[in-house]
Amino acid sequence: MDIFVTGIGAISCIGNNVQEHFEALITERSGIKKGMHPHSERFLVGEIPLTNQELIDRFQLKVNGSRTGLLGCVAAKEAFSGHLLSEDIRTGVISGTSVGGMDISEIQYRSYLENGTHDISRYKEHSSGNSSEEIALELGIDGFVNTISTACSSAANSIMMGARMIRSGALDRVVVGGTDALTEFTISGFRSLMIFDEEWCRPFDESRKGLNLGEGAGFIVIESATSIEKSGSTPIAQLKGWSNASDAYHQTASSPDGYGATLSISEAMKVAGLKPEDIDYINAHGTATPNNDLSESKAIMHVFGDQVPPFSSTKAFTGHTLAAAGGLEAVFSILAIQHGYLFANLNHRHAIEETKLVPVKSTTKVKNIRNVLSNSFGFGGNNSTIILGEL
Amino acid sequence: MTAAITSIVSISHQDSFGKQNIWEILTPLGNQSEVIAPDYKTYIPPASLRRFSPVLRMALTAAQVCQNETSVPFDSISVGTSLGCLKDTERFLQTFITATGDTLSPTAFIQSTHNTIAGAISMALGNHSYNMTHTQNSLSFETALIDGLLCVQEGKKNVLVGAADEAIEFLDVLKPHVIQSTVPFTSGATFLSLQPDTAGNGKKVIDCAVHFNNTNTEEAITTFLKKNQIDANAIELVLFAGEIPTTIGIKQINYEQYTGLYYSSAAFACHLANDYALAEGKYVLIVNHQVNSKLGLTLIK
Repeated sequence: MDIFVTGIGAISCIGNNVQEHFEALITERSGIKKGMHPHSERFLVGEIPLTNQELIDRFQLKVNGSRTGLLGCVAAKEAFSGHLLSEDIRTGVISGTSVGGMDISEIQYRSYLENGTHDISRYKEHSSGNSSEEIALELGIDGFVNTISTACSSAANSIMMGARMIRSGALDRVVVGGTDALTEFTISGFRSLMIFDEEWCRPFDESRKGLNLGEGAGFIVIESATSIEKSGSTPIAQLKGWSNASDAYHQTASSPDGYGATLSISEAMKVAGLKPEDIDYINAHGTATPNNDLSESKAIMHVFGDQVPPFSSTKAFTGHTLAAAGGLEAVFSILAIQHGYLFANLNHRHAIEETKLVPVKSTTKVKNIRNVLSNSFGFGGNNSTIILGEL
Repeated sequence: MTAAITSIVSISHQDSFGKQNIWEILTPLGNQSEVIAPDYKTYIPPASLRRFSPVLRMALTAAQVCQNETSVPFDSISVGTSLGCLKDTERFLQTFITATGDTLSPTAFIQSTHNTIAGAISMALGNHSYNMTHTQNSLSFETALIDGLLCVQEGKKNVLVGAADEAIEFLDVLKPHVIQSTVPFTSGATFLSLQPDTAGNGKKVIDCAVHFNNTNTEEAITTFLKKNQIDANAIELVLFAGEIPTTIGIKQINYEQYTGLYYSSAAFACHLANDYALAEGKYVLIVNHQVNSKLGLTLIK
């Protein structure tokens, strides 16, 4: 059964909507800069320069919960705009998040620890499940709501779950993607792991030292052909393949040979029924940590041999937006197909010596992009790949 | 969506671990009960055991026993957790809020993400298959179960589904402001193996459905039974949490008196259903109405 993409939505430090993202990607404008908040000012991060209230006002949101929920609402609302709710189109929301409402809990809990006072009612926003329920509420969807939390592969897994629900006949149309706000919890966590780069991150570069964090949300609407007949939506791309596999190597590090990643890439291609030469662009996970980029490069080489398609990581534009990354990058993959662009892997100078792989250094217009493979790898060795293709 | 339950293991505030039939050990919980834990050393290597929080210990052990009971490695793992690794989450909050120096210990952060549970299982079992973590408040177990049933439908042969949640003292602060329940907070983990439905005698999961805007439980149950072509009279036992209509099922038992309060306890109800001696042609219906507008329905035969 074919699965079609009929809507896309995005918010991150490089734009408040899909069009702004596209402009930033083709003009090679990164959104990563010195943080604007006490917990982020020591770092280079991809923060969205809008307060929660500004998000609510500008995007006329009905809900008022965690920042994670608000960002999700903005992107999901854009993706779902033009789509109508209907009794005979069973519609769901599947969203990924890693922190949920931690942006609220960490403020209250700090106050509780330091002064013994806190606003208890605010903790009701804490649970990750709430961010998805808020998105569903904003869109008026109540058929099926599901939150996936597999760290940095959450959005890719939500997309996969949605596709499987449609294929099984359980749903007709699903809004899928992910959202994460940049919290002090996350910044402190990655600081404790010592995988920040104090300069701009350099994915797939020999000199890469680590990542820059970001925040945002990316959603796509997927539908079956029968659903499109009823909804009248215009398909813009196809979701062709998906897979998730476990690296089973280490809680935070990827295996040196990229075993789990190799499994997820090959299985997604099998699901899509595509051969290596059918992939015209890879939007890599490419976090710019020494470990990820080497492991991912090896996995790509295992699958593609010496015919590695053009590839790049767009993390140097947005920062690593964690659970949102797979959603934003699905949107970028669709933009690549729609407009025929390979997006730049910013800040790249020297190939990793061991692999000699050179990513797409500047955004390039090409004749045609048929299929894009997008990787998302998370803590716990959670490796996911999705494949988007032209109609 | 039918699948056969081939193993089911619970670690809970009941003495449920390693029991043939958990109905024999059930006692209503008081306000001060604790997890009745097995000897974790048998299942978890000492280095991991020292690092692991209660929820990880419970889940990993239950999953390990399910794996030990079958010769085939799991070809998918899906775990539901409503609040995830709360203890390590709180520990890491305390770590960075009270930190004075520039370095922070990463252990609590690493173990704070929801998918630490399923990830640790994949590592302990050396399992490279599909590995998923669902978190949907009071319907966390049901969403993981729906994923597992989908895996069976897609042709997977040996599917692990589980649920795990842990209580921390801080949760009591939330009562009654955020959480109205009078049931005491508890911890629990239940894992089960699902296989394609065969002619075996064991229990089967027939279907699972979730509702996010439930206004009429009775109607939702009727629709669910109708979809599965089952007469309401065929329901011998209803296991429920929260308020439910009294008209369906010969016998109704509130499972929260045995599980205490955690938001994936419907998995323990699944274990109760598995061990219940049903008459021929009869069913158990699990009605999870822990939270007002949310409804989880699981049908077991």
